[in-house]
Amino acid sequence: MARGVLKLPEDLPVSVPRFVGKEVTRLEDPGLVTGTAEFIDNLSLAGMLHCAILRSPHPHARILRIDTSAAEAMDGVAAVLTGEDLRRWCNPAVTAPEGWGSYSMAVDKVRFVGEPVAAVAACNRYLAEDALEQIRVEYEPLPCVPDAHAATTPGASLVFEEKGSNVIQSRVYDWGEVDRMFAEADHVVSNTFRWNRVGANPTETFGCICQWDLTGNALTCHGSYQVPRFMALGRSATLRLPANRIRIIAQPMGGGFGGKGGPRGTDIAALLSRKAEGRPVKYIEDRIEYLLAGGGQSWDRHYEAALAVRADGTITGLKVKLLDDQGAGAEGYGTISAAKPLAAFTGCYRIEAARYDLTLVATNRAPTYPFRGYGPPPHYFVLESLVDMAARKLGMDPAELRRRNYIRPEQFPYVVPSGNEYDSGQYEVVLDKALALADYAKLRAEQARARAAGRLIGIGVVSTVEPGVFDWNCYATVGVPGVGVPEGVKVAVDILGNVTVAVGFNLQGQGQFTVAAQVAADYLGVDMHAVRVATAASDVALPHFGQGGSRLGVSVTGAVLGACRKLEVLFCRVVAHLMQTTPEQVELMDGRLRLKANPAVGMTLAEVAGTMLARSDLLPPDVEPCPEANYVWTAPGRTAPDEQGRCKSYLTAANATHLVMVEVDRETGQTSILGYWIVDDCGTRLNPATVDGQIEGGVAQGVGAALFEEYVYGESAQPLVTTFVDYLIPTIGEVPSSRKAVVVTPSPVSPLGAKGTGEGAIHTTPAAIMCAINDALSPLGIEVRETPASPRRLWQLLQQVA
Amino acid sequence: MKPAPFAYHAPETLPEAITLLQRFESDGVDAKILAGGQSLMPMLAMRVARPEVLVDLRRLRSLDYIRAEGGTLTIGAMTPKRAAEQSALVRETQPLFHAATELVGHVGVRNRGTVGGSFAHADPASEYPAVALVLDMELKAVGPAGERTIPAADFFVTYMTTSLEATEVLTEVRLPAWTRGTGWAIQEMARRQGDLALAGVAATLRLVRGACTGVRLAAFGVNATAVRLRAAEELLEGQRPEAANFARAAAAGAGNLEEPMSCVHASSEYRRQLVEVLAKRCLAEAASRAV
Repeated sequence: MARGVLKLPEDLPVSVPRFVGKEVTRLEDPGLVTGTAEFIDNLSLAGMLHCAILRSPHPHARILRIDTSAAEAMDGVAAVLTGEDLRRWCNPAVTAPEGWGSYSMAVDKVRFVGEPVAAVAACNRYLAEDALEQIRVEYEPLPCVPDAHAATTPGASLVFEEKGSNVIQSRVYDWGEVDRMFAEADHVVSNTFRWNRVGANPTETFGCICQWDLTGNALTCHGSYQVPRFMALGRSATLRLPANRIRIIAQPMGGGFGGKGGPRGTDIAALLSRKAEGRPVKYIEDRIEYLLAGGGQSWDRHYEAALAVRADGTITGLKVKLLDDQGAGAEGYGTISAAKPLAAFTGCYRIEAARYDLTLVATNRAPTYPFRGYGPPPHYFVLESLVDMAARKLGMDPAELRRRNYIRPEQFPYVVPSGNEYDSGQYEVVLDKALALADYAKLRAEQARARAAGRLIGIGVVSTVEPGVFDWNCYATVGVPGVGVPEGVKVAVDILGNVTVAVGFNLQGQGQFTVAAQVAADYLGVDMHAVRVATAASDVALPHFGQGGSRLGVSVTGAVLGACRKLEVLFCRVVAHLMQTTPEQVELMDGRLRLKANPAVGMTLAEVAGTMLARSDLLPPDVEPCPEANYVWTAPGRTAPDEQGRCKSYLTAANATHLVMVEVDRETGQTSILGYWIVDDCGTRLNPATVDGQIEGGVAQGVGAALFEEYVYGESAQPLVTTFVDYLIPTIGEVPSSRKAVVVTPSPVSPLGAKGTGEGAIHTTPAAIMCAINDALSPLGIEVRETPASPRRLWQLLQQVA
Repeated sequence: MKPAPFAYHAPETLPEAITLLQRFESDGVDAKILAGGQSLMPMLAMRVARPEVLVDLRRLRSLDYIRAEGGTLTIGAMTPKRAAEQSALVRETQPLFHAATELVGHVGVRNRGTVGGSFAHADPASEYPAVALVLDMELKAVGPAGERTIPAADFFVTYMTTSLEATEVLTEVRLPAWTRGTGWAIQEMARRQGDLALAGVAATLRLVRGACTGVRLAAFGVNATAVRLRAAEELLEGQRPEAANFARAAAAGAGNLEEPMSCVHASSEYRRQLVEVLAKRCLAEAASRAV
């Protein structure tokens, strides 16, 4: 008979798990290595047209006139689209909070450089781009809102006139007795911080092929879609089509990181198809388009923050005031990145009270989107920098100050002031392992010698919590309703005992197909190669979300376990009927349904499935001939938020300590990473190699944010960084090779004890590097509180003490 | 990111290429020579460059060679940089040129990019022009009137502009014989490995009776072309190879630079600072190699 929730891999119905917890060969890789994975730009449909988009050169301007006649007259041009078509056929994007969305193509005015103004579908992309040059647009430039501070200046130009203000939301969250904590503190450490715009840069930009069915009034979109069903809902709203008439087919993706975007590109290609008699239209966003106006910009933040600290080093209060530049509206859901810190506002510390004074504003910069980690990377940069500043003020070792304030193992489940509940952790064990791994005492001695020789060497020791398995409730206060994020799978066994797991998402790089196959194979006792994982199109798939918020590994595990459990119940009934006993006398073990009393007697999975499919005469009367089961998982125990946003949101709390040693070149301001050590605890590691890959990737993006990457805008909101010559993603030459060790504290609340772990490294790395740099600079009495700590920026600081 | 329309020619021989260029010149057609394409192709894709015609030199295999001619090392213009990098002859006889080659882009770029292409493109952030000035290299060009040899000092005119005529093809770069005992160094500051330099310096010097002599120093990535740091050279000439002398020379060299370029990664002031630091470090490194 069926078992309850499987808390650990040992609970699976196999003698020994063969796949879960092992570094298995990934199912995804043969297709990737041989180049047969069908990325969107590899796909061609008969009669397909190619789209190119004309984009605004102005940050803010009224559109007086668009003349497309010359483009329309060109041979090979099938359709030209402008804002007038959108006005006639579409709605503006749905946003959170509501009412801050634009049409997918500018209507009446443009709000940022790169906003689509017109588009062409032609028989090839070259010709489509030639045709763009024939489109004449007359603009009347408007005064622009170049940055967040300008947005709130009285008399500022309005990005959305109808809103009467550039403030999307302004509110104060109060959790506990913040004022008392600060009044009673022995020390208050406060400062300002600036996190400049960075963002996701997947190898593959967004792309799609859209085909409008003019007879059925329906739309099919193949594309690089990170969240297929969500995309279908959004298109339903903008394109005024019922969602069940929109079929989103997610192709394998060359990465995502939250930045895939795609709503505007999809709408434009879809409408061009509608205008071109229903021919399929391909749109491949190029890298300049991506960097200018794709989904790759996030976290443009100005902070003021303070810590209340007692003389003994106990941290009692945290205040964070954030002015967040969302860019031209909320179409990219950048707003949720500002709400995400609610899931772990006080990090891994027992801070009793906190305040979050949050102002989200619209400007004439490109709209912001989610990026791996959502909001905590900047938040932890601020929090961890303050903790280091407190350590310096108290003359304490930064590692010891952290240790003193950690949530203790016996305090779990632990509710943080901002409302979320952490499931488990051993923060001190993780810290100690990191200190030992790096030989911290030796590093400090090395640092002392180097300092005596005039070198600027610094050490960062930073610990963070990674909220894993996101939930909508965390974003309720910025206008995203809902509790629970469903992830559904179908598990089917065929007549020969092969297993298919149908999911709603496609490959993105993390290896969730492999995780699904590992869990299904170990539950059903089959070889992993007997399991096929397939993507269902959005219109027929079970409710699902896909990749995002360090959620899918755990969610798909829960869904596969749930479906397998239903199959187990069903198969036990069938076998009991065949063997003239009761289901309670039958169990699944190592791929066989066997009699508990006499395990030698039983049937294989294939025999049971085969009987069900081919011998309905032998089945119990109320059993359908269907050896398949659906299960839609959602995190248990999630709650609706109170008026201060407090709720049980993210299910799991992983933890990591990063230790980094850097040297700053006093003459050039250049930072070199001399050593990097990581200890992390994400509970059960379903596939340790995949976790390792997630950490490596997160470190790389964290190094980018701390030292290299920055979307620079000029004084008039002109983007100054539009190619990879200037947007500097670190390469193998800049990303340190880290030494790692592991602590495993299984989650008591998640399937198999696994915790979400896709974002922990990017949560931690920027803070760790910035803290290390400031440790290096501390003998000079200067500190850098702006990311990235580029050589030019550090050199300017060093000039102050030269 | 697709090029505007252009006509394409890939001549089989050098004379054929020159005839083509001559024809386009007389017809007023804007033609551009394509070598390895590592700079030109992105410029075409972004429609920053919009030539009506491309003359691709890829079939001119006779321009792919590395030879020692007496003391002089000659490298055919269509030689891939990677070939120069992997050539023992280049490494052993022209260590500065070899080191500069290793700094150009990444392996993939050096596989496709040609030695001649970098000279003809004349990007101010390129390493080769600075090395050419320091080593007194010569550039051989062939045009309708025949062959001519252009000293490096006369070759680079301004930002991405050389003294080549529209009908001339750069065919060879020539490195004069290396004087034994010459110390050399090339250092640059790039944000990432393989990026174009924000600033860089190349240097050579010799030590004669404990004093620096024949000091040659050039900076790149700062002005419209690579530029000799003559004030630094003059100050160090005859001085002892000591840190204080290097610092003084470097400060003079950087101080006398024309206003350096400015970009999002480096202000003019910061570039000047980089030249000073790199010059100082290059001089010390070069001196340590001099015998």
